[in-house]
Amino acid sequence: MEYLLLKGKQQINGTIKVNGAKNAAVAILPAALLTRETVEVDNLPKITDIDKIIQILKSLGAVVTCTGKRSISIDSSGVNSFCPPPSIVNKFRASYYFMGSLLGRFGQVEIPMPGGCNLGPRPIDQHVKGFTALGAEVELKHGIVKIKAKKLIGTHIYLDVVSVGATINIMLAAARAEGKTVIENAAREPEIVDVANFLNAMGAQVVGTGTDVIKIQGVQELGRAEHSVIPDRIEAGTFMIAAAATRGEALVADVIPKHLDSVIAKLREVGNEVEVGPDWVRVKGNSRLSPADVKTFPYPGFPTDLQAPMIVLLTQADGTSFVTENVFEERFNHLCELRKMGAKIKLGGRTAIIEGGHELSGAPVKALDLRGGAAFIIAGLISKGETRLEGVEHIDRGYEKIEERFKLLGVNIERRQQ
Amino acid sequence: MAEGNRFNHTMKFNVKAEEEANEARLVLKEVYEALKEKGYNPINQLVGYLLSGDPAFITSYKNARSTIRKLERDELLEEMVRVYLISELEKER
Repeated sequence: MEYLLLKGKQQINGTIKVNGAKNAAVAILPAALLTRETVEVDNLPKITDIDKIIQILKSLGAVVTCTGKRSISIDSSGVNSFCPPPSIVNKFRASYYFMGSLLGRFGQVEIPMPGGCNLGPRPIDQHVKGFTALGAEVELKHGIVKIKAKKLIGTHIYLDVVSVGATINIMLAAARAEGKTVIENAAREPEIVDVANFLNAMGAQVVGTGTDVIKIQGVQELGRAEHSVIPDRIEAGTFMIAAAATRGEALVADVIPKHLDSVIAKLREVGNEVEVGPDWVRVKGNSRLSPADVKTFPYPGFPTDLQAPMIVLLTQADGTSFVTENVFEERFNHLCELRKMGAKIKLGGRTAIIEGGHELSGAPVKALDLRGGAAFIIAGLISKGETRLEGVEHIDRGYEKIEERFKLLGVNIERRQQ
Repeated sequence: MAEGNRFNHTMKFNVKAEEEANEARLVLKEVYEALKEKGYNPINQLVGYLLSGDPAFITSYKNARSTIRKLERDELLEEMVRVYLISELEKER
């Protein structure tokens, strides 16, 4: 078992280039199944969720070739199966994008219910609603979702809940449907725009992404494409918050600052200096931090994926802060471990109440989910003493060699084997 | 008034507006070419950007994503509408 060991009272200091966005890449690679031609995808993060997607693609019959340090080509001409292997699918949530892509390619798919971080109930009812509206029959038996359509036909779909996963899955299935599909109350996340960019590069006709109405005119065939994944705004936000929490300074480069508007606004609100360039953001932490009221919302609101790191930052503010989780209602697994480190946090419904100004102390803690794990690293850096962080496999799902990344920012952190 | 006399008077030139129009044209040209070279449909991608404001629509190739941010969306749109209307009105004449 691997764990991370880090000393406390360390300051972030340096420059870091952000990797490609996990949440875009995990949908773009399955989307490659919609064409029989070869596609090339660049700027992929080297994380375990991507490794698993490549394994699934290969198991279905695709030829995946590494063409560069961060790029692969996918030749799906030989794909002949619509049943992704349960042993891999069960391990991560984004495997559900194979529903939309295989349904679009073969008109049917058999896939186990997806796994992933335990953030409370995350139903796939909006995905099912979309597939059904497009003319598919959906059946859940013995933990396997079977989706089958004689023909996918474009239609109007109103999403009852703003869902990134459902929006993308419907886009994938509708890309080769007959006629026009309109998704109303669609999610607006930049990762959805990036998936549509890739689909359109293959010859799909998707317009309106980035707004709450997306229109997809189905086409019969998709062709070859090259695409570079957008920068990961969550990885960028993690380093920005780490710089603020440690009262250090970080230049986070190769980002799209517009995607970080809500994070930049909150970091300034609590008293940090934030400078914004064309493709970089510099954060300089202030020694005195003000408390804040943070509410997570779908994009362009404050991202739920940065809720845990933000809570760690607010433990250092002079006063009481409130963080309300509006996306995944039970996403507070990290609070127990943070309390072990001396954080004074109470939970009232969906709101964490953080009494700032208390010094944290290093402790053995365990990551229970991906973003909570990253937050523990930040907590360890500002604590007094040493922190031993287990559950690194959760962090590896979404952050590429996180200890190496923090080392680039001048931090003493080691990965060890037990 | 004779032509020679007109130039004897002080005249107001709108240099700033002309500069902005030139810059918008330059920005759109650079972004258009980068999108086209990378195999995207430049019109779809630019419409997506103008509608949503999300720079993810614009490729990072040849620094196009930074280039598009040199001007505000309304400035780009103003130039596009102006050029379109002028050319369409000219056709009707």
